[in-house]
Amino acid sequence: MAVRILLDKVLFERRMSLAELADRVGVTQANLTLLKAGKARAIRFTTLAALCRELDCQPGDLLQYDAGYSPEPDDEGF
Amino acid sequence: MRALGPGSVSSFLKTILDVIYVALWIGVGALSLITLLAVLLSFNPEILSDVVFRAANGEEVTNRGILVVGPLFAWTLFVGAVLVIVERVRKIFATLTAGDPFHPDNVTRLRVIGLMLAGLELGRYAFWALSAWLLPGQQELDSGFSLTAWFSVLVVFVLAEVFREGARLRREAELTI
Repeated sequence: MAVRILLDKVLFERRMSLAELADRVGVTQANLTLLKAGKARAIRFTTLAALCRELDCQPGDLLQYDAGYSPEPDDEGF
Repeated sequence: MRALGPGSVSSFLKTILDVIYVALWIGVGALSLITLLAVLLSFNPEILSDVVFRAANGEEVTNRGILVVGPLFAWTLFVGAVLVIVERVRKIFATLTAGDPFHPDNVTRLRVIGLMLAGLELGRYAFWALSAWLLPGQQELDSGFSLTAWFSVLVVFVLAEVFREGARLRREAELTI
């Protein structure tokens, strides 16, 4: 997937830990880790809105289109 | 009526499957023992001297041993194959009661069930061919091509593909944050 998640960068700029963000947004830390690693297949608008609210940013600050980007493939294929 | 939990359709089906599973294990065990006994007895034809097999044309069949052991062995294989199918159905059912029916393993289980059903039907043809060879002129054995059996095999393979897509969608849902 060519969409890069810039959660790491935004978290660093806000000096916020992943655990704190997970607690504020109401998403498990495991799911945020998946999102941060680029392994998530989709993100709900509600989750995106909650992330933007807590990080005080726009969706464009969290997502970036990069044609050459490809995260590690998922191990479970059908 | 509830779909899951005590008093539901699934608990009723689970009980039926459990009973069938135990009965099949007993059946396989008993048939294996009887087959083994028949094989041992066939080494001493004197014991079976009173048993006479006749073909449809009235001729006495000499190879009695194989006529006793053959059907017993075929029945053991048949019950064993049904046992494998029921075991897979039970495992699929366990995933349903656990609230995860589209588990990826169910795809393989359904494919195994489809293959076993196809094997049973092919085995029936083989058994008929063997019987026709050993008992020439015997017409009582059912040798007809069963469209229902092959349709069942097709349905199971289609279901396996449906489950494969279900498992993929489940994975997608899991990875939606």
